[in-house]
Amino acid sequence: MLRRTLMLSTAAMALVGALAVPAFAQSVPIRIVSKDLLTTNPEDVKEIEAIEAGLKAAGTDVDLQILDLPGSGYADALSVQLLSGDIPDIIYFQGGDQKMAEQGILEDLNPWIEKYPNLKAALWPHNVERLKNYPYLLYIYPPRAPQPVIRQDWLDKLGMAPPTTVEEYEALFKAIHDGDLDGDGTPGNTLGLTGYGNTAELDSIFNQAFGVTATWMKDASGAWVNERVTDAEKAKIEYYARLASEGLFDKEYVTNTFDVKEDKFYTGKAGVIFGSSPEVIDIYGGKMNQAHPGETIKLALLPLPKGPGGRGLAAVDVSKESRGFAVSSVSEHKEEAVKVLDFMASKAGQDIDRMGFEGEQYTKDASGAVTFTDKISTWYARFFNAANWTAPTQQLSPTAQAALDTIKAGFVADNAFVWPSDYAADVDATEQVYRSWVAKFITGEAKIDQWDQFVSEYNAAGGTKLAEYARTVLK
Amino acid sequence: MVAQSKQSTLTTAGGNVPKAKISQHAGFLHGIRQWWPYYAMMAPGIIFFLIWHYVPIWEAKMAFEQVRIIPPNIWVGLKNFQALFSSPVFYQVLANTLIISGMKIIFVFPVPIMVALLLNEVRSGPLRQSIQSAIYLPHFLSWVVIAGVFVAFLSPTDGAAGQIARGVGLQPINYLTNTGTIRWVLVFTEIWRSAGWDSLLYLAAIISIDTQLYDAAEMDGANRWQKIWHVTLPGIVPTIATLFILNMGMFLSADLNQVINLQNDVNASTIDIIDTYVYRIGLTTGEYSLATAAGLFKAVIGMVLVLVSHLVSKRLTGKGVW
Repeated sequence: MLRRTLMLSTAAMALVGALAVPAFAQSVPIRIVSKDLLTTNPEDVKEIEAIEAGLKAAGTDVDLQILDLPGSGYADALSVQLLSGDIPDIIYFQGGDQKMAEQGILEDLNPWIEKYPNLKAALWPHNVERLKNYPYLLYIYPPRAPQPVIRQDWLDKLGMAPPTTVEEYEALFKAIHDGDLDGDGTPGNTLGLTGYGNTAELDSIFNQAFGVTATWMKDASGAWVNERVTDAEKAKIEYYARLASEGLFDKEYVTNTFDVKEDKFYTGKAGVIFGSSPEVIDIYGGKMNQAHPGETIKLALLPLPKGPGGRGLAAVDVSKESRGFAVSSVSEHKEEAVKVLDFMASKAGQDIDRMGFEGEQYTKDASGAVTFTDKISTWYARFFNAANWTAPTQQLSPTAQAALDTIKAGFVADNAFVWPSDYAADVDATEQVYRSWVAKFITGEAKIDQWDQFVSEYNAAGGTKLAEYARTVLK
Repeated sequence: MVAQSKQSTLTTAGGNVPKAKISQHAGFLHGIRQWWPYYAMMAPGIIFFLIWHYVPIWEAKMAFEQVRIIPPNIWVGLKNFQALFSSPVFYQVLANTLIISGMKIIFVFPVPIMVALLLNEVRSGPLRQSIQSAIYLPHFLSWVVIAGVFVAFLSPTDGAAGQIARGVGLQPINYLTNTGTIRWVLVFTEIWRSAGWDSLLYLAAIISIDTQLYDAAEMDGANRWQKIWHVTLPGIVPTIATLFILNMGMFLSADLNQVINLQNDVNASTIDIIDTYVYRIGLTTGEYSLATAAGLFKAVIGMVLVLVSHLVSKRLTGKGVW
């Protein structure tokens, strides 16, 4: 009797096991590596589980496996990982992708995007252009266009209207500098504007104003030249240098880190800073209020200035995405990997990625109306910011929303293109020369009448060679 | 006969131990058995060097290849070296490296020796220990932290250096964005970080000097300075020579971490060194072969410098690394 029971039990277990194996086997393993997506972060794990559940409900059973890479030095760590031959199915790049694409490791995403409607509908206009030029990376976010903000109460104290021209910007910076808006009893010790690292943030609004319309511009003879050696660029740098020499722009921008820049803004040492995206502008607003407990400080977005060259945001480089998700061309599960990205571009995926979880980052009342909780301030999208997704409740502050509207309205495509890797050393050398001279002009180490010396050095460092190649690419 | 010739013999000659003939192989095994705790202690170090310093030498062949993520790599001969040497900034980078490394050898290398000599003259034990603790501490700080400290310290508007300059009626200078001063910042920060810690080896060498030499010098009427000059310094010359030769081997490694953390747009062209160039071109743009070529070039120069320093040191002091 016992023997029979044991045999029956064993047979039943074997049957259950045999049925279970195919059930488990249906989950397709998809390995994903992304910056700050870690198995040690419970929120990351929870989102991945929610994505798996969402995909399963849509008929795709995947087992998303996160590969942990350190957030600090991510690009380097990823390069080493790929060089070792370990290539995940979905790879988030933050540089270093071009070499992989040249070797055929990355999948051409355009045919897939045609096949998957969510991805196609989620693209921003610059994404579409970038995919035409470089079809290996997908980074569905609005273009990064830094815009300047100021404390609304400071603007009110000054009694000035928001500046609309480059001259009015200079006047505003001077008023901030000369006034004692921080109330420390010492006028003249507040910077009008601060920044960090280089002038890219300032260029975002001053390029068009001074006539720097694109990376490649035609000179008087009609030949293509890099904008960095044009008269328009010279006028812009001269403007920056004048601001710095008058104490209106922070000469220490070169050694500032982003947190030092922010700190100067929060502590009243600087009146205006640039926010790199609408979300970042809201973070500045939150931090400003944390730095001044008991006060309610709102930030005001400053409009784009008009200058001798016009008005607008800097042209957006559409040569390629500088970062983003790629699918491995050697993956055995390309279809499923693309399905994961497509799901993240869908409304269901965006709801998870952008809003977090009900009961944590937001609540819903009986009517289904969504209210965000304080936890939403530390939540961030791990994948995309789809162009066609709208939050059920306004997520951005009016200032940040205004910044987003400016970005949407002001998109102009640049004519920069992807350099073949043989030109890597020349691109690096000219970049070094340009950044170095710009900083010298602004900090006062070089005078603007040394401009021709800069141009000669720039051309000798590879500028001439690059321009010759550009003339073969641009029509 | 053949077997006999293969068996080289060892003769032990220790006190009353009888002379015995032991084969080389058996002798080696016997040595392992006898000294196994020491071999066990050495093993992690040897394994470390094998894995991280010897195995990668084979991969240096990447300098002559076009690296493929999916093998095989393609042999390109000297193409990567040609690309490296034809780069418009390479010679500037090489010159920067030589200048910065030269400055460090001249101005940084002697400081730990002086620190050790001075520490040795401090008679109060607690005072010496306090000084040692204080000067060893910076060694444990990363360059990220040190760069942050010095950026704040040297800020012409808020930094202590700027305030001191204003206090004595001088115009503050931003030493970090001044191409004339930035290399001196590298030298000074290197001294600040490593002088204390590096003095340990010299201090150990000083302590091992036979005290009878000092007693003899004292009987001959030598003062403190003369004892340092005629006893202490000659006593640590082998250590100085060895460390100098080893430093020469690292001559073209002007410290990536230090430079990268103190680099900015203005000073980039002045302190851009081979290591930062390799990092930027190699890792961030994925030009691994080019980066390996630059690394190999650096290693070969380092090896030559070690050999030359060794021979010069042998001739001058009778001491070398082997």
